[in-house]
Amino acid sequence: MTLLQLEKVSRRYPIGNTVFGSRKSLTAVDQVSLEVKKGQTTGVVGESGCGKSTTGRLALGLEQADSGHVLFEGKELAASGTREWRLRRQRMQLVYQDTLAALDRRMTVGDLIAEPLVIHEIGDRPSRRQRVLDLLQAVGLGEHHRALYPHQLSGGQRQRVVLARALAPSPSLLVCDEPVSALDVSVQAQIVNLLVDLQQDLGLGILFISHDLRVVRHVSDRIVVMYLGQVVEDGRADAVIDQPLHPYTQALVSAMPRLPGGFDHYLPLPGEPPSPTERPSGCPFHPRCDRAKDICRQTPPELLTLGPERRVACHLVSNP
Amino acid sequence: MNPMLNTPNANSAGAALFASQDVAGRRKRPVLTVNGLIVSFNGVAVLQGVDLAVDKGEAIGIVGESGCGKSVTWRAVLGLLPKSAKVMGEARLDGFNLVGAKSSVLDRVRGGRIAMIFQDPASALNPVHRIGAQISEALFLHRGLTGAAARAAARRLLDQVGIPDAQSRLNAYPHELSGGQNQRVMIAIALAGEPELLVADEPTTALDATVQAQILLLLKDIQRDTGMGLVMISHDLAAVAAVCDRVCVMYAGRLVEEAPTPTLLNTPQHPYTRDLIGAIPPSDGPRVRLTAIPGAPPHRVLPSGCAYAPRCRSADGACAMTRPDMRAISAKHVVRCIRVADGACQ
Repeated sequence: MTLLQLEKVSRRYPIGNTVFGSRKSLTAVDQVSLEVKKGQTTGVVGESGCGKSTTGRLALGLEQADSGHVLFEGKELAASGTREWRLRRQRMQLVYQDTLAALDRRMTVGDLIAEPLVIHEIGDRPSRRQRVLDLLQAVGLGEHHRALYPHQLSGGQRQRVVLARALAPSPSLLVCDEPVSALDVSVQAQIVNLLVDLQQDLGLGILFISHDLRVVRHVSDRIVVMYLGQVVEDGRADAVIDQPLHPYTQALVSAMPRLPGGFDHYLPLPGEPPSPTERPSGCPFHPRCDRAKDICRQTPPELLTLGPERRVACHLVSNP
Repeated sequence: MNPMLNTPNANSAGAALFASQDVAGRRKRPVLTVNGLIVSFNGVAVLQGVDLAVDKGEAIGIVGESGCGKSVTWRAVLGLLPKSAKVMGEARLDGFNLVGAKSSVLDRVRGGRIAMIFQDPASALNPVHRIGAQISEALFLHRGLTGAAARAAARRLLDQVGIPDAQSRLNAYPHELSGGQNQRVMIAIALAGEPELLVADEPTTALDATVQAQILLLLKDIQRDTGMGLVMISHDLAAVAAVCDRVCVMYAGRLVEEAPTPTLLNTPQHPYTRDLIGAIPPSDGPRVRLTAIPGAPPHRVLPSGCAYAPRCRSADGACAMTRPDMRAISAKHVVRCIRVADGACQ
């Protein structure tokens, strides 16, 4: 069952001087379509500036799409701030990288986890208290953590509190934006295992946004690869990583050092992602692609459906 | 006998520092030998005695969780720690002890013989100076080059680190370059003094995946071409293993295992090393559950026995009592775990 669906969603930001009327815009997210199924994880990967975080914010209604549709549980998402949006927002929660910024440092862990219950008017005092204890246990913390403040916890423990807080109003969708990037590998493994377990127990749908291909491969059922605001490839996680079709995905996969093996499979990719303000003509990837042809420089490729669960936007794949 | 455990011979005079001198009894000529390095801040020991050596032309990796002393080791060697740090032990560069050396001596060592690059190139570069001037400054300090000669050398360095259109890039300011290019500029500055050893502290952590691969392979190429030693400090074992010949694993201010990279990856002996490898999601093959190391590294007070015992899944009563010594289990493979010597860990 489809939990979240983005249909050709775009988001543009105005840039430059507005006083003299020369108003340009930057397209952060361009015609992105993706879906998250109930109980499954869709991973979004790409380098900085590719629009993956903006996509997550669009999914939650924290950013308003300029065009396209965001459907959550089959219905279009209402404008943010409205009563209707607020009602549905309790079913979709955000977990992100910077836990110190996510947690009010003057509130105790117990109050932090109970806060969403208060905001969404769920339960009464005794039942909230019980719910906080259950949540602490679910994320692997103990009752004694309830009275502590965020600065008294380690990074991994804080991320557990953020997770408990996100789970408090019983959401059906979690949007995780780089949830483990700031953590040590050992703690990262704890949080990744916890997310996998919670998903199994609660049937959560997860939109998992990360630059770390390894972690995304590990947690995701489907993977969406983004480049300069566009989806360049998507498909089942194993297929995208093991048989990448788009030259960018191939380069991204090869740039991940293997254990063992290192960079034996490395495909050199020159340059760095261009800024979204200077979007190249044609295929956005062509300046870095060593197989680019004339058509790539002129015409943007369509996102071509290659199978029931595979799409790729590349002229070389569509007409080799 | 493990060469790492050898203590060096008599201290040499300061003059030896800038003359080439061979230390007897080594497999190769080590550039730098660290012995019993202890660092404490306000009475809290953060390094508990680190011994290691870097050979000429060798790339070694230092891995471990944050707070295990990876960076502190090398900052102590180069005298970059704040005054509140108490440093004991020795770090010998050609027999000369850098620990406690005068700042006039250290000024010649830093950048000239041992260079260091850091995680965030944008904060290491001066935002108000052109990068050409910043590279020339290093060329003047370490090689006495000025004017056109310095400019030509700076351009060659930018070429060497793979910055296209080097001539015009010399006039750019750091904010005009991307993060990856700034890190290349940092590497160029580090190479300006033609160091024998380059210490890279998390050089790619702040960079994107494709740029990370570019920088790591650049460091490896430069190390091979120039024959300098390379020390790469990182929390990412996969990145370290891709670049380094030998890997040192640190835990709670000590080395716990050290071996050539293939040996360490294929037959890790210390439970901590095995847990670290198991915590990394595999890049291919079936998905297996990750090894989550319970708890956190010890803070301030070390356990009386093995520092890893409280988190170790194969620890027993003896581990909590005995502080293990470093033991050699093969010619180049040393490990600090009492159960390895007993044959209990396979």
